[in-house]
Amino acid sequence: MGNLSTKIIGVITALLVFISLYLIFGYARIEGTMLEVQKIFYYHVSAAMTVFVAFGVNCVFSIKYLIQRKPNDDLLAVAAAELGLIFCTIALLSGPIWARYAWNTWWNWEARLTSTLVLWLMYIGYFILRSALEDDKRGVYSAVLGIIAYLDVPIVYYAVDIWQGGLHPDRGTKWSLETTMRHTWMIALLALILLFTCLLIVRYQMKKAQARYEIIQQKYLEEASG
Amino acid sequence: MKILVLASFVIVLGLFLFVNQVPVDITPDKVSAAVSEAVSKSEVPVDEDIVEQVVLSSIEVLEKGQSTRLKYLASAYLVIWLVFMLYVLRLGKQQQALDKRLVQLEQTPEAEENE
Repeated sequence: MGNLSTKIIGVITALLVFISLYLIFGYARIEGTMLEVQKIFYYHVSAAMTVFVAFGVNCVFSIKYLIQRKPNDDLLAVAAAELGLIFCTIALLSGPIWARYAWNTWWNWEARLTSTLVLWLMYIGYFILRSALEDDKRGVYSAVLGIIAYLDVPIVYYAVDIWQGGLHPDRGTKWSLETTMRHTWMIALLALILLFTCLLIVRYQMKKAQARYEIIQQKYLEEASG
Repeated sequence: MKILVLASFVIVLGLFLFVNQVPVDITPDKVSAAVSEAVSKSEVPVDEDIVEQVVLSSIEVLEKGQSTRLKYLASAYLVIWLVFMLYVLRLGKQQQALDKRLVQLEQTPEAEENE
């Protein structure tokens, strides 16, 4: 992707982030039960849904890498996993702040929280595995782990249905929000997905440049020693 | 990039400090006027003083909670931006290191050729 299109996406993302923040604090109605604290919802839920997108990209390009063995697919998968981990961290850190106010506890071992933590730990494992393996094995093994780790995503999503009685509301709650709240949440979700796309492009380009550098360095070292 | 990150951090931090001191402009006079208006419109007889007292004490409870609620709200958004900013800063550092290494790599053969 060209530099200009990256910049255009960057500008649109920045604009949408500012618009979403304005909508959150200036437009969306204050919810009756949680009052101002409910406004955490907009970025917390959007970050959690962006995690699904990010790990989905990781899974798709991991499968593609296993089939075609193109190094760029592996680089894109890693970049997506890294960003997924960042968004997952955001969801896991903003959640307890909500929980402390709503449920009077920072953490609860209920289904969705636990499965999200497991997801986060699996992708931490993904990066530990990558750093522990040699170059020739790294891509294949981490792609396999990426695909296996993605199996936890539907578990996280359907956790409230599978293990009922948890603290999280039903999956449909966000769609039945009051109009101003629903619009605000949709813009916030779009802003975070665009932010993910923007950062993914940047990270992928950096990883490609780094890989090119390592190839050149390797050639140079071989020539020097030969 | 660093300036942008720093500026956004200052804005979020400012927001965090600001929301802890948000003025609540529901004064007792305003409550009194609103209660009088509501009572005058009421079709059933209501004791205005009792209603006013109930409304004032309800507002007091809400105001007390508001400061706490805003702290939670500001903390959550501060944490979100902190994670993003640390990540963007890390990306910036990695990019700088990569640029530096690329320049070094470009210069090495040239330097050897000159020798």
